Order: sequence, then structure tokens, then C-alpha cells
Amino acid sequence: MNITKLQEIIFNAIAMTNNIREDDKQIPQQIDTELYGNNGHLDSMGLVAFLIDIEESLLDEGIQVTLSDERAMSQSKSPFRNVESLINYIDELIKEVT
Amino acid sequence: MIIKNILISGSSRGLGKELAKHFLKEGWKVYGCARSEGQIKHDNYHHFQLDISSQEQVTEFFFTLRKQIKHLDAVVNNAGIASMNAFALTPAKVFQKIFAINVQGTFLFCQKALGLLKKAPNPRIINMTTVAVPLKLEGESIYAASKSAVETLTQIIAKEYGGFGITCNAIGPSPIETNLIKGVPKEKIAKLIKQQSIPKMATPNDIINLVDFFIRPESHMITGQIIYLGGIAK
Repeated sequence: MNITKLQEIIFNAIAMTNNIREDDKQIPQQIDTELYGNNGHLDSMGLVAFLIDIEESLLDEGIQVTLSDERAMSQSKSPFRNVESLINYIDELIKEVT
Repeated sequence: MIIKNILISGSSRGLGKELAKHFLKEGWKVYGCARSEGQIKHDNYHHFQLDISSQEQVTEFFFTLRKQIKHLDAVVNNAGIASMNAFALTPAKVFQKIFAINVQGTFLFCQKALGLLKKAPNPRIINMTTVAVPLKLEGESIYAASKSAVETLTQIIAKEYGGFGITCNAIGPSPIETNLIKGVPKEKIAKLIKQQSIPKMATPNDIINLVDFFIRPESHMITGQIIYLGGIAK
């Protein structure tokens, strides 16, 4: 799966998340959007829902990966901090399983 | 009419089989699983053979299921094993097996089903516990302990995923005629039934009634509840 497709999946997941958020709490669909952490738009449960949506979209493409495994949690820099780091992390995971 | 999908573990016999037959009659698509072969022949029944305590097998199963359906309306974690033994004489292997199937199996099914449940209008998780928990039955320490874990899991899942619209409840059947209690002496069952407010054996229909109740869209405010049959309270 190429990076453009991955970005599309993540932006779609952001759009789904935005559907249930207030107008002033919308998450920008941009590569440098902070997702989780100090300036992140998502709290822990918001992140869970977001990652489930992404996993489901990847399954639609026939790709099975677990995004919130021990490795993700133990990295000194969270792969969930922004859209770009998340794309790179998922890209790595996909390369490992294919 | 939109066809509803339900996943029932332990559906090859006993209560799981009765639940599967009930939902087929109601027009649902039933996805059943068990270690043994499926016994139900019906166009809307799909059986998978797997060991629910195996992470690899459960992951593979959900990957396959995901190719067939895009949402799950309900999951009934019915599969479970029991073992009667005095605490001091219970081998560690029995402890591990009971926890692997009753606790880890329920954990894996709940976790892997979240994505499919999240897409349903009224998603439901129903777990199975036992009256051995509130009654603290002698000889059932490990089985009851495993179901205590299931009850806690149920209540925390209910809290964490209420925001997704997913309700998670548990049913503790009083004794019913299934394979699960075939090894329990008759006197013990009679003594147990005497402790109930309604002192008689339950039937699979009593559990089906409660499952129906939890599944109804109108039950969207009922979550994190543990209901025992026969009038036994914690």
C-alpha cells in the first residue's frame, strides 16, 4: 500500500471522528496534525476509536495489523503523535506482514 | 429489511446451540464457533471450528469473518468450561485451561469484535457468568474465579465502550440441563436450587429471554449489569 493511500485512510478516519465532534473541536485533515500527546486532539478513548477505524479500513484492503501493540506503547516517541508519524508507523507494520 | 448478524461462541451444543437456533428462527444471520463441528444445518448459519483460547486462531477467525460481514450486531460469549475440584487438589494445568478459555477467550472475542460492533446501530456484548460467583460454591474455586474475572471485564468494557453505543452485560444462569453441569452430583444441584428465590431448574428459554432483553434496541441504557437467574443476588 502506498503512502498516499495510507494518508487517505487516516484522513477518512479523521473525517469519521469529526462527525461526532463539536464544530469548534474539528481535527484538521493535514499531515502535521497533532493526534495524541501534549497538543493532541484526541484523548485516550478518542485514540482507541480512531485506531479501530483505521484497522477496519486496512482490513477492507485485506491488510491485518494491530496498531496499539506493546511496541507502539513502548516507543520513546509515540507513533500516534501526529498524522505523519502514524503513516510511517503503519507503513512499517505493513511492510513487516507482507 | 436489514439482516442482523450475531456471533455465538460454543454453538455446537447446549445453550449455545439453542441460542443459535433461536436467532435463526428470528431471521438473524448466525456466526457460530466451537472446537467441534457445527450441528446446525441452515442457510443463515455459518460455523467455524476454533479454539477460542488461541490468540492466533481467534485473530485468523476474525480476519475470515471480516471478509464475510461488515458489521456485527451482537456477540454472545457463551463458550466456557467448568471443573469441579477442591481448591487444594486443583492442578495448575486445570487452572490455566479454565482461565485460558473462560477469561482469555472472552477477552479476545470482545477485543477483536469491537471494530465490527462499532459499525452496528445497536451493538451488544453478552458474556456468561455463573451463580457460583455470588454463592461462593465449594469445589468451584477456579471456575468461579474465572467468571469473577469475566464479570469485571464485562463492567469495565461497558464503561470504556459505552461511548461507542456498545452495551456489555453478563448473564449468570442458575442450573440448567447442559453438558456443563453433567459432572455435578444431583444432590449438589438440588442443594443449590434450594438456595434460589425461585427454587427450580432453569431452561435454555430463560436465558434466551434475557439475551433477547439485552439485545433489544430499547435496552440501550442497560450496560455493565450482571443478572443471575433464579433470584440469586450478589
